Amino acid sequence: MLVNGDLSELVTDTRVHRDVFQDRAIFDLEMERIFARSWVYVGHASQVPEPGDFMCTRIGAQPVVMTRHSDGEVHVLYNRCGHRGVKVVAEEQGNARRFMCMYHGWTYDTNGDLDFVTQPEGYPEGRQPDKVRDGMGRVARVDDVCGFVFANLSPDGPGLRDWLGANAICLEDLADSAPDGEVEIRGGVHRYLYRGNWKFQIDNLSDMYHPAYSHESSSRPSGRQFARRKGDKGGILFREKRGRVKSMDPLGVSALPNGHSWQGGLPQIENTSELHREYVARLEARLGPERTREVLTKTRHNVIFYPNMAMQELNPHIRVIRPVAADLTEIFVYPIGLKGAPEQMFREQIRILNGTHSASSMVQTDDVEAFARAQEGLSTTGNEWILLARAGEETVDPETGRVSSIGTSEVAMRNHYATWLSLMSRA
Amino acid sequence: MPGGEEGRGGAALAELLVAREVERFLIHEVGLLDDRRFEDWIELFAEDGIYWAPAKVDQDDPWEHVSLFFDDRELMTTRLARLRHPRVYAQIPHSRTSHTIGNVTVEPPDPDADAYDASARFVMLDYRPGHGQRSFGGRYEYRLVREGESFLIASKKATLLNCDAVHEAISIPF
Repeated sequence: MLVNGDLSELVTDTRVHRDVFQDRAIFDLEMERIFARSWVYVGHASQVPEPGDFMCTRIGAQPVVMTRHSDGEVHVLYNRCGHRGVKVVAEEQGNARRFMCMYHGWTYDTNGDLDFVTQPEGYPEGRQPDKVRDGMGRVARVDDVCGFVFANLSPDGPGLRDWLGANAICLEDLADSAPDGEVEIRGGVHRYLYRGNWKFQIDNLSDMYHPAYSHESSSRPSGRQFARRKGDKGGILFREKRGRVKSMDPLGVSALPNGHSWQGGLPQIENTSELHREYVARLEARLGPERTREVLTKTRHNVIFYPNMAMQELNPHIRVIRPVAADLTEIFVYPIGLKGAPEQMFREQIRILNGTHSASSMVQTDDVEAFARAQEGLSTTGNEWILLARAGEETVDPETGRVSSIGTSEVAMRNHYATWLSLMSRA
Repeated sequence: MPGGEEGRGGAALAELLVAREVERFLIHEVGLLDDRRFEDWIELFAEDGIYWAPAKVDQDDPWEHVSLFFDDRELMTTRLARLRHPRVYAQIPHSRTSHTIGNVTVEPPDPDADAYDASARFVMLDYRPGHGQRSFGGRYEYRLVREGESFLIASKKATLLNCDAVHEAISIPF
């Protein structure tokens, strides 16, 4: 539609055009200009702990493999054969000394280099395949923060730390909340899909305006949601006495450069369980009481790592957003284990995550319903725009560029589309 | 000896009766879900009863790996009370389901616990108006304990053929 016109016409200060969610050409351009040029979350190093371990995923629409090579280094490879382009690795994860293409038997090292070409005599002098050029191909850049691996298909642009800015601290704080100072991804993955655009999930993750309405059915007559942690005395308060919706404004929301954002931490709910006390004691042994208190005071709820990942500390997990088409998105949710924490804590985490973030969850099912209805609603032509005008007082941290405002402000969404437009406008 | 013949016949008959009794119970149990009698369905579970739908093939531990459902009675009650809420948007309009059960097998009873291990194959159709009809299927594994003339469910495990697929929202238990 407007793709060959001026993209800047699609985003105003407070409105976003429906084509941004509906148009297939825009989706294709997003894969090229956002997903192929940004630092995209790939996986955690703990998912490939041993040499030869591999895990398949996607960067935007492109299949890739994260591997640990024999020298211990983590690589991200394009999942295609150098010969005729066939996808080489079909298993979701595993361990291999080499990868072999099913088509003509070419083999590759776990760093993507071409290892062996079958019937090599068929390639005359000057035509022999090259170890690197005809390998699977490594993506341009790979870097990590606390084992969280990001990849960038483009050699140009800022490094990972510059791209993440203040968001990197969130990963460091998460690692610090483990008694051993390290986290790992374990316990499998929740997978679900919805028939809507991927950006609905991004916007929902900074949306503190919707819970009391969308998720009302998950609250009890007391006005509280079910408890999210074992030992917590009840869950999030949606409604006060006489049914008045409890505003989440005091929690605040923050918008950061490059489309990132975070929600302020939920009100602390007292946890008096013995399990929690044991965890705190182990944390204090490494960090001392002051830093422990700091780590346990959750100042952030969902943290968005634009464009494809969100983390949550309360019940630690990583959420990966996998765009499939303009109107189809997959969500993968991975529990995070805090190394050195009581094992029973991880078990409770798993149990709670089943209730909140599985395909049959009592929370996400409302969100994905809203996303699918948004996709359908935006096929109407009477009004070409969505409105992102909610605002409160805004303060800017000059050091990090972080803009903070009231919880139900849509500042993070406006920030998202400003970043979106800037990335999409670079030819 | 005629008595021995009769004894063997008696045992076989008893086994057959129990198998039939279990099968009728299972048909009743999944029928409650189709009839949206969720509160009655929960009542079929023992106080410490568990409903479990793994998210991984051959998953033998619900605590070490995520699951589609892993509900004790408290969570079942929270989940199914939500389905009664007038604004449970994920289920407006709500799903109609049809559970079919077959290949029911009952292991010889555990005499100490007065418990029976049973397994079956199932198909569940799920149609939500405005959405495509979905079909789920796989294997049920039950542990039932004798309760008067009937049973209570100590555990029900429903392993879907595609338990590790990327699913659209699921609201009604298998």
